[in-house]
Amino acid sequence: MKHKLLIIAVLLTAAAFLIVGCQPQEVEVTRVVTETNTITEQVEVTRVITEQIEVEGEQVEVTRIVEVGAEQQFPEGTEISLLQWSHFVPQYDTWIDEFAPAWGDSVGVNMSVEHISFTELFPTLTAAIDAGEGPTIVELVIGGSLFVEGVHDLTDLNMQAQELFGEQIDTCKANSFLPTTGRYYGFCHGWIPDPGDYNKTLWTEAGFPDGPDTWQDLLEGGSFIRDNLGVPMGIGMSPEIDSEFAARALIWSFGGSIQDENENVVINSPEVVEAVKFMADLYDQTMTEEVFAWTAASNNQGLIAGELSYILNSISAYRSLQKIDPEAADDIFFVDALKGPRGYQHASAHIWQVYVIPNYVEGAELEAAKAFILHHTANYSQAVFNSEMYNFPAFKSTVPELFEDGGWLDVDPFGSRPGDKLKVLGTAENWVTHLGYPGPANPAIVQVYAQRIISNMMAQVAKGEKTAEEAVAEAEAQITPIFEQWRDRGYVGGE
Amino acid sequence: MQSPTVNRVAGRSPGRRRLADRDGLLGALFMAPAIIYIVALVAVPFAIAIAFSLADVTVGDTSLTFVGLQNFRRVMDKEAMPQFWRALSDTFIFTLTAQAIVIVLANILALVLAQDFKGKWIARMLIMLPWATPISLGTIGWLWIFDSKFSPIDWVLQLVGLLGPDTLLGPGRHMNFLGREELAMASVILVHVWRMLPLSAVILMAGLTSIPQDLIDQAEVDGASFWRIHFQVRLPLILPIMSIALLFGLIFTFGDMVVVFVLTRGGPVYYTQVLATWAYFTGIEGGALAQGAAIALFLFPLLLVVAFLVLRNARRTEIA
Repeated sequence: MKHKLLIIAVLLTAAAFLIVGCQPQEVEVTRVVTETNTITEQVEVTRVITEQIEVEGEQVEVTRIVEVGAEQQFPEGTEISLLQWSHFVPQYDTWIDEFAPAWGDSVGVNMSVEHISFTELFPTLTAAIDAGEGPTIVELVIGGSLFVEGVHDLTDLNMQAQELFGEQIDTCKANSFLPTTGRYYGFCHGWIPDPGDYNKTLWTEAGFPDGPDTWQDLLEGGSFIRDNLGVPMGIGMSPEIDSEFAARALIWSFGGSIQDENENVVINSPEVVEAVKFMADLYDQTMTEEVFAWTAASNNQGLIAGELSYILNSISAYRSLQKIDPEAADDIFFVDALKGPRGYQHASAHIWQVYVIPNYVEGAELEAAKAFILHHTANYSQAVFNSEMYNFPAFKSTVPELFEDGGWLDVDPFGSRPGDKLKVLGTAENWVTHLGYPGPANPAIVQVYAQRIISNMMAQVAKGEKTAEEAVAEAEAQITPIFEQWRDRGYVGGE
Repeated sequence: MQSPTVNRVAGRSPGRRRLADRDGLLGALFMAPAIIYIVALVAVPFAIAIAFSLADVTVGDTSLTFVGLQNFRRVMDKEAMPQFWRALSDTFIFTLTAQAIVIVLANILALVLAQDFKGKWIARMLIMLPWATPISLGTIGWLWIFDSKFSPIDWVLQLVGLLGPDTLLGPGRHMNFLGREELAMASVILVHVWRMLPLSAVILMAGLTSIPQDLIDQAEVDGASFWRIHFQVRLPLILPIMSIALLFGLIFTFGDMVVVFVLTRGGPVYYTQVLATWAYFTGIEGGALAQGAAIALFLFPLLLVVAFLVLRNARRTEIA
């Protein structure tokens, strides 16, 4: 009996310690963002556009007023729904959850928004198209051309938007327009730049205070940092999105590509072989085996933990670090796409935000969906701001605050130190490409991406299992039949 | 004189009496929910998958234009799709290795759990937890355990001086469980074992506890050792139920895509790809729905034969 009482007493004491230990402690937290601005004022139905046009060989600035989806009223009972990915920046979801229904209320439409993981977008849209019912608008982030047969032709909407907001950035057009069909299968409202993120202290010690400018700089600086400072570099070679895009950036910057502008498979070229060999050198001299196991979040986590000197990613890792460890965030800087040996400079966007409307949507629901898309685009300043400048606009004219002198890229409203740290993103339009560059993002190129053929090709050579020539030839053997299949269906050009 | 029961039946309307007396109709009615469930959620999707695999469907167009066995030929083309053959062999390696380990460990665990000891109910409950946990959630936990930078196993190995510069497993500071081919395969097998072990152990424990104590006592009186009793008395008696545990394990592991999808997505390179994940990447993410269906259906005839043989064997053993 005494023993039992003793045991109970010990357990109670331990429990008490645990409870006390779990009590919230007061912790001093330093936040970078001391004042958060919000943009909630909605753009009116008219918008003033200032643009440069060429008149008799001279650039002339003209101003015009355009109408943005006149505030029509839709028939009573009209309902539309928007299915989109859970944004990496939660504030964007909070914003659109209010923004979309508010627009619906103003035009007599009952509008709802649902968020799912981006990995669930394809299965959900596939099931909806097969069932003939589901969400009105689906926001895809990559590979929308796979659904070209099951979604509405939005050429009219894209033309109207270009009329209203001016020219659409090329990377967005390439991810919503399929040349062989001559139609827009989607409406791309935004894209995400994918700069290089580097640790300034480490790269300064390596002799590159402004970060690497070329792939050769990356090799030399990354090698010095790993060997002398013990911090590897992080370009993934595993079956995930960042690895796929990094591999493509390298290939493009070396002058190679998977397909040419006419949609012929051209991967088996000296330029691609050279790029693959370079990636193997980069792995040998600057990285560790971990890059073969990465998920899409791994390079973010490595940068945040201070265990990677350079990654190729959007600003999301940096934004996370700002909230977790502002001091460490101060040491993260950005560079634009790296240049290859012949001066080519290309990198893919991180993702593209493309609205598609499945074929089963008809009548007033279809019209309301199109009106919402125009309204959303007209108010894109709010989208950019609430995504903490993660989203970039497909139509630059819709977000003058971002690009103007003294604008958000010059003085980051989210507390970057120095304030113009993100200014480099203003150049992204010059080097950003798209899945499939220099051809379109056709269904074949999306299937090549989905089957991770390019990152596997790189990894096999980096691991020393194949020569670059063998790996590239094997990749070609896998890619060619994929192109032939989709070409037979009429969705890929070339021969 | 009639019994009260008969009187109550006689008091009902003729129509209700007829329904209650018709065993065949009642049997069909009671079976109907199960049949509807199986037809709606198993048979129909299965038929659709077969139709897809023989047609030219994509994620954007599921109208059926039959193309015969073209999709099967395409996915089996070694040059165009080497991943398929790797996925096929990995599926067998993962399943058979995991099940061999599960059956051995489940026998040991079942023997221990069948003993009478204090706290055995808590022990049984804890052992069931991996089976009760949603597989995706459990695998995400393992993803963290195997993380390339933040693995707690790495941390322990470093702490005891086995990992790091100038150590047995060094010089690296991380094991990179999911970045090395052999370790990645072992990790996938380990998670499958972790998941299936509780179910097999409980099934075998139920078998062990159903063995009449007289038989064990008689063997002990005859001077049989523990191992002799185990291998010559207990194991033959629980063989039918062990076959069922094995069958469950085989089918669950053959068809599983969550473990590989969450842990490795088929990597490094495509060295842990299995048919289920390869079907998903090709059919859904790659848009070639017909080829995805062909890959997914590839194992069906084999699994059907395995299920038939195991069930027949279990029944024969039981009758014998």
